[in-house]
Amino acid sequence: MKELSLNILDVAKNSVKAGATRIVIRIDEADGWRTLSIIDNGCGMPPEFVATVTDPFTTTRTTRPVGMGLPLLKLAAQQTGGDLFIESSVEPPTGTTVRATFRIDHLDCVPVGDYAGSVVTLIQGSPEIDFLFVYNREDGQSVTLDTAEVRSVLGPEVPLDLPDVLMWMQDALQFEAEQQ
Amino acid sequence: MTVRELAGQLGLEPVCEAEPDREVTGGYVGDLLSWVMGRAQAGDAWITIMSNNNVIAVATLTDAALVILAENVSPDPGVAELAERKGINLYRSPEAAFPLCAKVAALL
Repeated sequence: MKELSLNILDVAKNSVKAGATRIVIRIDEADGWRTLSIIDNGCGMPPEFVATVTDPFTTTRTTRPVGMGLPLLKLAAQQTGGDLFIESSVEPPTGTTVRATFRIDHLDCVPVGDYAGSVVTLIQGSPEIDFLFVYNREDGQSVTLDTAEVRSVLGPEVPLDLPDVLMWMQDALQFEAEQQ
Repeated sequence: MTVRELAGQLGLEPVCEAEPDREVTGGYVGDLLSWVMGRAQAGDAWITIMSNNNVIAVATLTDAALVILAENVSPDPGVAELAERKGINLYRSPEAAFPLCAKVAALL
């Protein structure tokens, strides 16, 4: 993928499919490394599935023989000298954590891209799920959006997928200097 | 032109000749697999310098006629066997992608 934001969309959709009620998406930059973490409380994967999930011929879909989301994220990470790590548990069902590390100054490190667009798209598609997004940038700036908090401020009668709410969240996800 | 004929004309080294009588109807070049996945067409000769398992997956998904690894790239361990299992025609060449593209284009 040309941007990390597209991987975020792809991998977080797995969490939605796993029935997660809370999905944490973090981008943490420190010491020249960018770490993408997607942590859900969904149904988890059995160990034998975790072992094969970065094999491109594994998928939960039945329409095609290969699933490329995690294999491509792993490739993107490894191309920069990083790697992909997956922890998952079915019993107890503590969910799945996907973590990918990237060397930021590597020539093959793809840009983060439109992360705000990806996060808003995810919220729009599943407004009932609690999303926590945190981006700690290498320059020390950070943005956070917690939809559980947004929901508690707006009250239960305001759905998060209202156009005005989505636009507000899109704006809240921008770093200060870039806000319109 | 069949895969076998194209490989012969270009002097390609076979890594896995799963289905050499397949017809080659076009060409594509690219290394960003997610990009290739949505753009390469069935019957294409796909030229790339990527060499991992995912190449075989993308060749399967796009139904490329053959994959040509350019610039003497060697397939990663296990990739030749995977190509065999998935029925993917896989070749390599010492030439760079640009001259390979020019030659494929001239032959088709």
